[in-house]
Amino acid sequence: MSVRINLHPNLLQFTNDQAIVEVNGSTVGECLDELVKQFPQIKRGLFDKDGKLLNYVDVYVNYESSYPEELAKPVKDGDELHITLIIAGG
Amino acid sequence: MLTREARERYDRQIMIRGFGQEGQGRLKRARVFVAGAGGLGCAAATYLTAAGVGMIRIVDQDRVELNNLNRQVLHWQGDIGKRKVDSATQKLRKLNQEVKIEAIGEMITEANISQLVAGFDLIVDAVDNMPTRYLLNRVALEKNIPFFHGAVYGFEGRVMTIIPGETACLRCVYRGVIPEEKFPVIGVTPAVIGCIQATEVIKYIVGIGQLLTNRLLVYDGLNMRFTEFRLKRDPNCEHCGKGGKK
Repeated sequence: MSVRINLHPNLLQFTNDQAIVEVNGSTVGECLDELVKQFPQIKRGLFDKDGKLLNYVDVYVNYESSYPEELAKPVKDGDELHITLIIAGG
Repeated sequence: MLTREARERYDRQIMIRGFGQEGQGRLKRARVFVAGAGGLGCAAATYLTAAGVGMIRIVDQDRVELNNLNRQVLHWQGDIGKRKVDSATQKLRKLNQEVKIEAIGEMITEANISQLVAGFDLIVDAVDNMPTRYLLNRVALEKNIPFFHGAVYGFEGRVMTIIPGETACLRCVYRGVIPEEKFPVIGVTPAVIGCIQATEVIKYIVGIGQLLTNRLLVYDGLNMRFTEFRLKRDPNCEHCGKGGKK
């Protein structure tokens, strides 16, 4: 199943500036696992040392928040993910 | 009833369908709390002052530094070293003497926030860190004050409007805190976002249009794209849900 992941600009440092990555997976977690397989450096931008999603990372599925299921949230072929990071400047 | 001078000053906005002298009167009676006199606060406060809101209280503990001047457009070269609230107030009063501008040069804390926002109808989030945003979100919910969130980083900005008890709050959307940092930003980004916040404030006060509620608007200036994420209230939100104070 093909899912498009749109990456926040601050994550592009881990993907050679590739902003959209195509992955396969049936949950958000599986999609992120494949993203990490393609770009191993991005792991430290998404997960803590225990493998939990960092609390300033948010994943949207088809423009709706994946919270509270987050990594367990099912996805289907053609879905679009956005990975965003909290921004706090004023 | 507006004075002849007010009718002339606000003529172009009074002309807007649904706005009228009644809308202008509502603006004149409104009291807006602006948290922060940085990039967002300068933009939002400028346009709220120009639009003729009745009173603005602007709160910020910082002093003007040279590196603020690329984006904080109420602070000028000669203001370096002054309190930001004084620098901003001086310009805003020159822009529109009809608006009462109050400057408070304090840090917003758990201890003073309730008193600072008491008596205000709306809160504009123009701060530069998440802990203060969460404080503002919580007090807005507790006191049933509409809350207008904005944030920027580089060429990116985000904005959403929160109506307590009705719509998703900031804590429904964000739970984390990023480490405080010197963040990159180009001045036009807080200008765009601060103006959207001011637009929302004006619409809310006048009672026209559709508010940016249950939606997070993301502005990507680098690719000149707006993206909208749909939001829902989190029933377990620690600020507005069953686990929260409200």
